[in-house]
Amino acid sequence: MIKRTYKVPDMTCTNCAMKLESLEDVLDGVKEISASYHKLEMVIEYDEAKLTNEQIIAAVKKKGYTAIAV
Amino acid sequence: MSKNQKPPVDPVVLLVLGIVFVAVAVGLAVFQANPNFNTATNSGVMGQLIVAFITGLTTGGLSCLAVQGGLLASSLAYQVERDYVGQVARGMGKKSKAGPPVRPNSALPIFLFLLAKLAAYTLLGALLGLAGSYLTLSPMTRAFLMIAIGIFMVGNALRMFNVHPIFRYFSIEPPKFITRYIRRTAKGTDTFTPLFLGALTVFIPCGVTQAMMATALGAGSIVIGAALMFAFTLGTSPVFFVVAYLTTELGARLEKFFMRFVAVVVLILGLVTFDGGLNLLGSPLSFQNLTRSLFPSNSGESTPAAQLPSAGEDVVLYVQNDGYFPQTVSAPAGKDFTLNLVTDKTYSCARDFVIPELNFYELLPDTGTVQVNIPAQEKGSTMFFTCSMGMYTGRIIFQ
Repeated sequence: MIKRTYKVPDMTCTNCAMKLESLEDVLDGVKEISASYHKLEMVIEYDEAKLTNEQIIAAVKKKGYTAIAV
Repeated sequence: MSKNQKPPVDPVVLLVLGIVFVAVAVGLAVFQANPNFNTATNSGVMGQLIVAFITGLTTGGLSCLAVQGGLLASSLAYQVERDYVGQVARGMGKKSKAGPPVRPNSALPIFLFLLAKLAAYTLLGALLGLAGSYLTLSPMTRAFLMIAIGIFMVGNALRMFNVHPIFRYFSIEPPKFITRYIRRTAKGTDTFTPLFLGALTVFIPCGVTQAMMATALGAGSIVIGAALMFAFTLGTSPVFFVVAYLTTELGARLEKFFMRFVAVVVLILGLVTFDGGLNLLGSPLSFQNLTRSLFPSNSGESTPAAQLPSAGEDVVLYVQNDGYFPQTVSAPAGKDFTLNLVTDKTYSCARDFVIPELNFYELLPDTGTVQVNIPAQEKGSTMFFTCSMGMYTGRIIFQ
């Protein structure tokens, strides 16, 4: 398991954070996602063997946001 | 645009939206321009309930939507997402224009959400009324509360306008355990989730709701507190329902439009609330007091009642449903005098009379005269008075 932080500068409300957290239910290998509108960031804990950085960024993009790995 | 592409927004929908917004705007304008509206009935309590309902109908719905929209969206998210999942799976994305749009059935969850919200706020109103029977908010406390609410609302509006990232701190981020619980619940049955989330809105009241909560607290009665919050929340429901329904139906296409509209309304309400707080503090910097000082000819100074009274003559202030007359009272400087507050079938908040400088406040009888002793003041000084909501104002000039 690895924990990684992404900046998501285009969040516009607290609901955006909830939308990003809902990726937990979509992405395979994710243990936990914690997103914060106040911090404009998302912390994701996941299994590197099942999920890649590119897949995460693509999934976030599909939700309508831009994830930048910190 | 190719032949097969649909126009971005159905003109009929736009027409309906236009009608709704014009109705809201007219309601707001009529209500604000004619404060007598709350005296349509002879009952003070009934008048308060009508005001609460109209406040909810005209401004509360949009303000609540701006703050509580996230919870409603969460209650709908699972259903909407499930309906759109086919599109996503096919890699069409949200910008796809091919094929007919998927129309999620969002009416029932919104209805359940609002029903639970109505029940929860009625209960909250009862609790506030109960608490209010034990404690009373002083005008000073209410003033600071209104100023804080005003700042919160203005900050929230600026956040919605994306003026600067700093304004994101004006949004309330629910605790993680709640959002996590909400999301997990959203995966459950379609009935329980909106009901539960609707009830949760009591934890994130909007600025207008908070002002109404303060009124319920001030009512000092379980029944009146509950009735006030019921009337207000019921009033918010139509706008909440229509906007939420159409937003959900139309997806993100109109989201920005709605957010900007809501932002403008919240900004105006925030400034009005802030200004009301300044009035309650007796500040000469409030909009009304400032304009009255800068443009005295428009403030009723020239009316006969505003003339300096003769020796031994009482100073009379008429407290009417639409404010105080004259708005500028002349009084002798350097000696105590009696201010006679005269009401005649006055049911508006004007009868909840406040002189911030003297820390004087009293709920006047709807018909009658109340005398207030004003201590000697320096020549040229000004004393402001207002109603307890900071809506109606006036001043005493000592000459």
